[in-house]
Amino acid sequence: MDKGYVENGFIVDLSNARKTSEIIYELSRILDIPEAQNKQVCLKLGNVALTQTELTSIKALVESMNSEIEFISTNAPETIDSAKSLNIEISELENIVEAPDFEMTTSISPEVENALDKIFGDNDFEKEKEAEKEVLEIAEEMVTEEDEATLELKKESEKLPTLYLKKTIRSGQSITSDGNLVIVGDVNPGSEIIAKGDITVWGILGGIAHAGNEGNTQARIRALKMNAIQLRIADIFARRPDGANTPFVQKTNEFTPEEARIFRKNIIINKLTEN
Amino acid sequence: MSGRVIVITSGKGGVGKTTASANIGTALAKLGNKVVMIDTDLGLRNLDLLLGLENRIVYTIVDVVEERCKLKQALVKDKKNPNLCLLAAAQTRDKSAVTEEQLKEICEKLKEDYDYILVDCPAGIEQGFQNAVAGATEAIVVTTPEMSAVRDADRIIGLLEAKEEIESYRLLLNRVRPNLIKSKDMMSVEDVVEILSADLIGIIPEDTGIITSTNKGEPIVNDEKSLAGRAYTNVAKRILGEEVEFINLEEETSVVAKVKKFFKGLMVKEK
Repeated sequence: MDKGYVENGFIVDLSNARKTSEIIYELSRILDIPEAQNKQVCLKLGNVALTQTELTSIKALVESMNSEIEFISTNAPETIDSAKSLNIEISELENIVEAPDFEMTTSISPEVENALDKIFGDNDFEKEKEAEKEVLEIAEEMVTEEDEATLELKKESEKLPTLYLKKTIRSGQSITSDGNLVIVGDVNPGSEIIAKGDITVWGILGGIAHAGNEGNTQARIRALKMNAIQLRIADIFARRPDGANTPFVQKTNEFTPEEARIFRKNIIINKLTEN
Repeated sequence: MSGRVIVITSGKGGVGKTTASANIGTALAKLGNKVVMIDTDLGLRNLDLLLGLENRIVYTIVDVVEERCKLKQALVKDKKNPNLCLLAAAQTRDKSAVTEEQLKEICEKLKEDYDYILVDCPAGIEQGFQNAVAGATEAIVVTTPEMSAVRDADRIIGLLEAKEEIESYRLLLNRVRPNLIKSKDMMSVEDVVEILSADLIGIIPEDTGIITSTNKGEPIVNDEKSLAGRAYTNVAKRILGEEVEFINLEEETSVVAKVKKFFKGLMVKEK
């Protein structure tokens, strides 16, 4: 890692660190050098994300070595928040270009690493980055998931006839459609609505809805208010959480249109916003 | 294993058959028995709501009968008690979807694996009642201390006595209000027992907690403070053959009454 002396102190570049334990190790090594003591330290943290607890430990470490954190330079929002809550100054490093470079020390012995991990938690930045990447991938997949077959299935519901009903579906009633199903009205608990294609409820969906009952995994269920006891799409099931099992809170004036569909073999519900 | 099949019936609607089923079933399971409850009220099912299992029902008794699933697949396990499960009624069908023979067969199969099979009967004396009773050998007749309910219970007991399979029946007196009995505005427990000349298996006091418990989907026996809950637990114990004394409702229900009694005592002494 790079470190450089500046006027009243020096910079420690920790932006390549993979783990909190590496930061701690590197800092304690550098601050142990006699010339580094009683100086101001500037930490260059780059994209490393630190929680408040982690930053507190780092601050405590620096202070225990008779130095002080002058400011930190960071791009990670989490670190910025942590620093703000600890009253640590955040600043750009661009003005201090004169600092000489030092080669980064590479290896920590496994025992030291383990010991430090135990104290500061196994906070692997690489792993976090990977997790973040996965989240992004999923998000991307949610937007663009089409291959030929799914596109075909998706279009299927557009070709089907649609049963249009303008009434309340009450407990014990069962509506089945060979195509899509549009209901203008509420679908009360205890009823079931089944369709080969999509189901759209312009009202509160409180019963059981089964879209794509002949196997179309791209079928959708939409409702102005999704309160279904169970949702079924093709052969996938989802049930309402037990906490929401209070029948008398179903009527409402707050509507958030939602759409249910299959994603990675589970049923997910998305809010339908204007975009 | 050979379980006991008990039908819970009443004739009149709204006297608390389903509440009694849910609570007795839960209490029996809590006491360590393997219990299955069958809701035979096709088209007007409620037992699942009272147990808070509505969202877990995938297959119903009609699916079992029409062989869309195996019996075991249709049994919905309780959230809390693994000893307890429910065979739900179909909501979108009517009583004719199941026959007496089919219900009998289901009960026989369940007897092998369960200690108690509680059958929640629909109101009325038509096919639904006949179905529910078909597999049972014991009955609990639920009634309230009202003329209409007692009259209907009498009718039901007559029908039960005519059935060979029913070996015994006992009376569960529900929604009893000691204050009203005292002021002679309600039939007393003794009156009801005398009219129906049947053995009592329990007396359940009127309890507003029942309303909350129904809406929450949480049987009241799970609330150890509730008087009705304790009364239901006692019913379960009596089914198991234990001798449990009836809770003295008059003493337990009214603190005001106790205070009054105390002062009355003082006044008598002064005189």
